[in-house]
Amino acid sequence: MSRSSEPSRCLASLVVVLAFAACTRSGAVSAGSANPRMEPGSLDQVLLGRKMVIEHDCGGCHTGGSDPAAANWLAGRMVPEQDFKIGPFTTRPRNLTPDNATGLGRFSERQIFNALRFGLRPGETPDVEITSITPGVGNFPTTPKYLAVPMPWPAWRHMSDQELWAIAAYLKRGVKPVKNRVEDSEGPPDFWASEYTVAKIGAIPPVAFPTANEQVP
Amino acid sequence: MAMMLAVLAPFTTSSPAVAQGYHPHAVPFAAKAVTRLSAPRVLANLSSTPNTVEVTITAAPARLTLVRGSVTDVLAYNGSVPGPTLEVREGDRVIVHFRNELPEPTTVHWHGLHIPVTSDGSPFYPVAPGARYDYEFTIPHGTAGTYWYHPHPHHRTGYQVAKGLYGAIVVRAADDPLPVTISEKLLILSDNRFLRGGEVDLPHPGSAQGRVDHENGREGDVLFVNGQVMPEIGIRSGETQRWRVINASASRIYRLSLEGHTFLHVGNDGGLFERPVPVSEILIANGERVELLVRGTGKPGDRSVLRTLPYDRYVPQTRPTDWNGARDLLALQYTPDAPVPFVKIPEILRPIPALDPADATATRVIVMSQGLLNGRTMDINRVDVSARLGATEIWDVENLVGMDHPFHLHGFQFQVLERDGVPEPFRSWKDMVNVPKHQTVRFIVRYDDFPGKWMFHCHILDHEDHGMMGILEVK
Repeated sequence: MSRSSEPSRCLASLVVVLAFAACTRSGAVSAGSANPRMEPGSLDQVLLGRKMVIEHDCGGCHTGGSDPAAANWLAGRMVPEQDFKIGPFTTRPRNLTPDNATGLGRFSERQIFNALRFGLRPGETPDVEITSITPGVGNFPTTPKYLAVPMPWPAWRHMSDQELWAIAAYLKRGVKPVKNRVEDSEGPPDFWASEYTVAKIGAIPPVAFPTANEQVP
Repeated sequence: MAMMLAVLAPFTTSSPAVAQGYHPHAVPFAAKAVTRLSAPRVLANLSSTPNTVEVTITAAPARLTLVRGSVTDVLAYNGSVPGPTLEVREGDRVIVHFRNELPEPTTVHWHGLHIPVTSDGSPFYPVAPGARYDYEFTIPHGTAGTYWYHPHPHHRTGYQVAKGLYGAIVVRAADDPLPVTISEKLLILSDNRFLRGGEVDLPHPGSAQGRVDHENGREGDVLFVNGQVMPEIGIRSGETQRWRVINASASRIYRLSLEGHTFLHVGNDGGLFERPVPVSEILIANGERVELLVRGTGKPGDRSVLRTLPYDRYVPQTRPTDWNGARDLLALQYTPDAPVPFVKIPEILRPIPALDPADATATRVIVMSQGLLNGRTMDINRVDVSARLGATEIWDVENLVGMDHPFHLHGFQFQVLERDGVPEPFRSWKDMVNVPKHQTVRFIVRYDDFPGKWMFHCHILDHEDHGMMGILEVK
């Protein structure tokens, strides 16, 4: 059974994501190549990344749930039930372990950071610091190609630089590689670009508090 | 939740506007009349000096009929598409007097030839509009085979090839082991796409089709062999023909099959290899060449069709909707003449000395992702791989993404050792190798001479033009 027939689980994950997003502080657009507080690759950084990964339920889609001791932790889609059916397309959670051939092993931490902050596919985006969300400006790709829906990066991008770098560090340094080839996700020819406009996903950083929906306590 | 539902909603109600499997305005050419396959003419040798070939090539705009019923503005070598064939022999001194009459810079890259870097025609040596350049080189012994030439200017290769600039090179050996009674056919495969008026369809990069071309590499719906649509080759029952096949397409990969026949695969990019290999079909990526023996096993009057079978080289997002259809390329028409006895094909063609991995002093890892090598686009001022003259090295070319990327190394031919861990079944000289989606190809190369800066790149011309290229410096 595909996840298209299990909308409740998918949406439940999204509720978690969005609830978390509401609680995190806003992040700057800047990729912040220099980690402000933690030594890159330090145990502290990796443990913060681990905390973020567990709390954000990465394993809920990418295998392992919230248990890092689970089999094939973060190794991506293992069974067809993990597929998503998005309109005419099937998308599949990819292998997040640092296996060179099938996972994130050949991608840099900056490419993973850029995926989380900007939604940019690491296999399609240069390993550069991005300082803008305007196509063609500040190293933002002229024709951006985005991660497959329903990866909730539009919410997670609001995490702080420190948290995003920590996730990248954990995935690259704190997880053992698992060889698991995940079939490529399908999607529209624009790689979801028409879905990820500012009008549809909001600005980063978010608009100032309070909006019409909010109030100063 | 509202945000995510907004993301999902359009795909439950309507398909995106950007077209998959885009079909341009098909040119209503009439390809029904059968035409015999004709080879491009051979460049005239202006030299009377032994072992010297001196030719003149001019690249210039022209107006030609590429498809029946329309005239197309093209760029042509010496006025023809494909350009004239450069025929040389091992050991020949070659002098090409090149003149650029295009309105933009160009180069001539002698694809696969082992020649000095100043004559390689790489982006380092652009020839300005109106300028001349003499390419001079000697054809090394042991390199007899089928090659080709095409432009290689920075960012404009795809455009110039699409407009018609490509031609064949045939290098012959004095000691060719195949019987001289075998007739030879040159097959230059290409494809193109035209607007209703007959002009080459080159969409704006920002258009829907432009983005698909950027992703897949530009493919055409009209398939040519030597510039002809569905030509015919005559064969006598029992006859054996040697086909030199060049894939000059910008991105199309051909999976060749000749109905009712088995090919004898005898040569790759660098010419004949050791033993003929019978194959029912063969994959030839853009930039690659193969030599095939076609044996006339049919009866007098039979007719067979050479087709390219479906091959999925695409990412799912931009895979054409008609990718899984076969396409006809040419017809093989048997004459009514009585069969002749088959000629005997030597069991050993040309021994290929092995490059020994034990001699390798370095292993290079080249990671291919979409449009990137090792996460970067090309910088002509950057050296990506620095190597010592005379060194033997192993290259692991890893394709991380879900589409094939044919890899080309300039200047030095190599021997494939493994494809995704599977040892190569036989040795041959290659300068191109297709790296299928999510696979790794390992090859071995020796930089035996010719120091300088050499390009390596994806040979999907759109990818090359957008920077999926690196620089090897040998010194």
